[in-house]
Amino acid sequence: MHRHSPSTPQSTPLSRREMLARSAAGFGMLGLAGALNAATPSNAFAHEQIIHFTPKARRVIFLFMNGAPSHVDTFDPKPALAKYEGQKPEGKLFKAAKAGYMPSPFRFSRYGESGLEMSELLPHLTRVADDLCVLRGLHTDVPNHEPGLLMMSSGNQQPIRPSLGSWASYGLGTENENLPSFVVLCPGRPVVGPQLWSNGFLPGKHQGTAVNTSDLTVEKLIANLRHPNMDRDQQRRQVNLIQAINRIHQRPRADDERLESQIQSMEMAFRMQMEAAEAFDVAHETQKTREAYGMTDFGQSCLLARRLVERGVRFVQVYYVDRKNKQPWDTHQDNNGRHRKLCADSDRASAALLTDLKQRGLLDDTLVVWGGEFGRTPYAQPHKDNKPGRDHHHTGFSMFLAGGGTKGGLTYGNTDEFGMHAVENRLHVHDLHATILHLMGIDHKRLTYRYSGRDFRLTDVYGRVAHEIIG
Amino acid sequence: MLIRFFIFIIAFHACFIVDVYGSEPQHDFFEAKIRPVLVKHCYECHSQESSEVQGGLYLDSRESSRTGGDSGPAVVPKELEQSMLLQAIRYDGLEMPPDGKLPDHVIADFEQWIAAGAPDPRDGQAESVARPTIDWDDAKTFWAFQPPQPQKLPDVLKAGWPLQRHDFFILSELDAAEIIPSRNADPSTLLRRLSFDLIGLPPVEVSGLSGSGLSDLDYERYVDHLLASPRFGERWARMWLDLARFAEDQAHIVGNNQSLFYPNAYLYRDWVIQAWNTDMPYDRFLSLQLAADLIEPEDDRHHVALGFIGLGPKYYDRKRLQVKADEWEDRVDTVSRGLMGLTVACARCHDHKFDPIATEDYYALAGVFASTEMFNRPQPNPAPPENEDAKKAKKNAPDSTIHIVREGKPTDLRVFVRGDVNTPGEVIPRGYLRVLSEQERVTFQEGSGRAELARILTDPANPLTARVFVNRVWGQLIGQPLVATPSNFGSLGEKPTHPELLDDLTARFVSSGWSLKWLVREIVTSATYRQSSIPSAEQLEADPENRLVSRMNRRRLEIEAWRDRILSVSGELENPIGGPSIAPQDPTHRKRTVYAKVSRFKLDPMLAMFDFPDANVHAEMRVETTTPLQKLFVMNHPFTIHHAEQITDQLLESADDPAERITKLYGRVLGRNPTSEESELIEEFLTGDSESTRDSWVQVTQALIASNEMLFLD
Repeated sequence: MHRHSPSTPQSTPLSRREMLARSAAGFGMLGLAGALNAATPSNAFAHEQIIHFTPKARRVIFLFMNGAPSHVDTFDPKPALAKYEGQKPEGKLFKAAKAGYMPSPFRFSRYGESGLEMSELLPHLTRVADDLCVLRGLHTDVPNHEPGLLMMSSGNQQPIRPSLGSWASYGLGTENENLPSFVVLCPGRPVVGPQLWSNGFLPGKHQGTAVNTSDLTVEKLIANLRHPNMDRDQQRRQVNLIQAINRIHQRPRADDERLESQIQSMEMAFRMQMEAAEAFDVAHETQKTREAYGMTDFGQSCLLARRLVERGVRFVQVYYVDRKNKQPWDTHQDNNGRHRKLCADSDRASAALLTDLKQRGLLDDTLVVWGGEFGRTPYAQPHKDNKPGRDHHHTGFSMFLAGGGTKGGLTYGNTDEFGMHAVENRLHVHDLHATILHLMGIDHKRLTYRYSGRDFRLTDVYGRVAHEIIG
Repeated sequence: MLIRFFIFIIAFHACFIVDVYGSEPQHDFFEAKIRPVLVKHCYECHSQESSEVQGGLYLDSRESSRTGGDSGPAVVPKELEQSMLLQAIRYDGLEMPPDGKLPDHVIADFEQWIAAGAPDPRDGQAESVARPTIDWDDAKTFWAFQPPQPQKLPDVLKAGWPLQRHDFFILSELDAAEIIPSRNADPSTLLRRLSFDLIGLPPVEVSGLSGSGLSDLDYERYVDHLLASPRFGERWARMWLDLARFAEDQAHIVGNNQSLFYPNAYLYRDWVIQAWNTDMPYDRFLSLQLAADLIEPEDDRHHVALGFIGLGPKYYDRKRLQVKADEWEDRVDTVSRGLMGLTVACARCHDHKFDPIATEDYYALAGVFASTEMFNRPQPNPAPPENEDAKKAKKNAPDSTIHIVREGKPTDLRVFVRGDVNTPGEVIPRGYLRVLSEQERVTFQEGSGRAELARILTDPANPLTARVFVNRVWGQLIGQPLVATPSNFGSLGEKPTHPELLDDLTARFVSSGWSLKWLVREIVTSATYRQSSIPSAEQLEADPENRLVSRMNRRRLEIEAWRDRILSVSGELENPIGGPSIAPQDPTHRKRTVYAKVSRFKLDPMLAMFDFPDANVHAEMRVETTTPLQKLFVMNHPFTIHHAEQITDQLLESADDPAERITKLYGRVLGRNPTSEESELIEEFLTGDSESTRDSWVQVTQALIASNEMLFLD
């Protein structure tokens, strides 16, 4: 069903008018295709797709640790920090450092057949070490949350560009027309907020559908999913009436495809009430499964993410935010204590997600991304309570990828001996984006959208695909 | 992996050549230590093989290595410190190669090589890194840069059809394509179309006017009635607010810091409404928004208009040069695309790739905004708060200020090479675009240059300003602009479908005193506008996209008109003009949708769902999406249910007989009588329903609200 076969890559930029025409015409057809394929995501590629290579990852779950986790306490062991404890870092960027290097108190060991190095803060993830592809050479442009979050989400520091998930939705469409193609899960809202899942200048259907997971009742999760007092049969009768009225209206206007799109869209909405109600309801999971993920906001969000990708949602972004703190990983104070707590929750849920995806045969073509907007300083940030923190750090940090065609058990890239600078196999955020798109079968240089007189890309004029991490 | 392998082959091949043909002894070191590293680590981005050369730098010949790229010479023989290549591989300022620093011994090899004079056998031509020059004389001949002139009317076959001058241009093209224009739409369709187009609301009753048998005189009376309505400004303000990226806050909120917010932004919105209601000439309308403080320094009545720039986005950490540069880009983009139909912001990092807009042109305009400050000016006599909402807004406001601009320190910017604030280039005096200047670029002398910019944009001879605006208004009324890319009249934009029409209408718009109401009247009283929107088979065959306007375009109502229509038919619409913003989905907020709060941080979900544009940037035109989430809103949201109940309760009071109720319901909601087929359908639904009468009727009413007819305009 691929309109663009991998052997004849093409991604002609669409004019807005063409785009409208396509989405309008496409929708009518999708109505039928969507109805036939509603529950069979794997073969439901009825959408106009922009595919350049054989995709390895059909869907993505991005686990975002808001506030930025510390790389030297998780995936990037630095014994030199102990040796040079207290020594201040060099370089004009770090002149403001108020304290010297602070060793991680957490023990690092090698795990799995691959011998991947991880800290003791991540005991559950160590059991799936051979599935992890740890990136230690990441870097970004500035050490501030807002521009850092926007950069990681959209490849630009200002809130004027479409997000990664929107680009994926634009490039690949959805696998299930009864659900949004891009869903954002967060209890409350992260710093910056909706601009992180903005469609920007892409058509509105590529906008992330934000779901507040602080109340998991399905009616609370999705706006307008239920009529306040009509039951399903009554509403079916009413929708039939609406459609009959619409058909009469359509008769002398049969040339206008938009009217058919509206009719189909109404049908989908009616079906979605069921489909979404089922997809978004974690109560359908066994208690054992729910507990495996952890009965926390983040744990249950990860479980929800699995339910969604399983049903054909293309891109799910899960923000690690807690109800009191929009960026809990921002450990300026008591770095060690807070990382211990945060990692415990994130580790359990992330590992459960990977294990669960694997058991269901979904990990092979589902890419899981774990990380934050940057890392934390290898040197201390003193605090008056004598529990020092770590400050923002953007010149070197770690993330991990798993599944979706990445090489498991691989550590790629490195920072210098203190964890200050990415020095080997460096990956800028643009490079990470280019690599994620590549895994999804998209050439980041050819996924373009014509807007304001030029062709825009997620990676602007940058981006290098890290072919070395692709299996 | 493949690329790596390929590079390996090239490297191998290069060595092979050396072995076969031998080399000068002084080149041995280069061949052994330098070339392989260049091939392996640099050529991917810095050679003629590169798919996109980075930084304008080619390292695959001696000449081009020495000429260098944007940042200067890469290799300067014997000068280690001046060789950018060395700085880059040392990760000193630049960091190359980007995927990891080279080993120290390799860096030492490069030092040794450059110190020895950088002997290099590669004779290839230096890739021309010189900028392609723009031929300014040639560039000026582009259609959009010619001042619009009144045109001679073309011959047409049916001389009786045209009612306005532009009808001749439309008809002559149809004649040439052998297409017959459509007959007039029926009177009730036409009145509905007029009413939504002019005031954004369903038709109101005018004494002496009925739907049947509409004479030309009646029609024009109705047009004048609508043009005089205060609702006119509310309808037409929105078009302007989209392109002015009007909003009341910022995308960034740090903690609870609301100091960057614009609590009184609504005053600017209200000024726009008032300007259109009083038919302020468009040239004055623009001038005041750019420079009211300079044009009328003593009389501050119109200073709130400066919100056009003063309500622009303020980005996070705005003291940083990079962030300032991003803000200037926003101003240049809004002014150039919004007012001039040119994408000048494309020239921030390099000369425009398609249009004759040099980087210098960008910085000349950006300098105007770099010399302008955003400013919250206290109001001398703040209006007393009108209601509870207003009181709340005042209470939360830092003070009663208007959010405008004022003169800053006049500053000429340096070009930032490739847009990088760390590589400043030549100083560019503040000024206008060179291609639109007579000879050299017009430079601005007075302060920031805003007043001069306003003058030059509103000069009657300016080829773009009026043309761009006329095209937008045509698009708004006809459903398809003459230039399909209304914010891009450049070479990548579309060409006008009817260039003479656009010229003629624009020239007359200017000579009629830049009057929006004149322009609207001119268009809606034409034969073109009065056509039916139902196409004939021949028309569909000959002109499927309706580029020749052989029929009217059926249009989908924007969220504003759709919501206002529902409020209007339920009798709940309240009509005070102006005031603080409302929450559009709250049933207790009954003002028109133009008064909805517009947030850059979190746009109201109802607006966002129905294609309201992102107010962080200029919006060229509305995009239409059709999504199930929109339909869930229609089916289940309290907003639609509330209004369905309101209408139903009044309906049940007013009549007992089901047939009479159905007729009244159609009249009220859709403005017409039901057909017998429709009446039967509704009656069948009602008899088959086991629920209470009221609930059944509410469902019927909601069905009409949810119907396509409610959303589309014939």
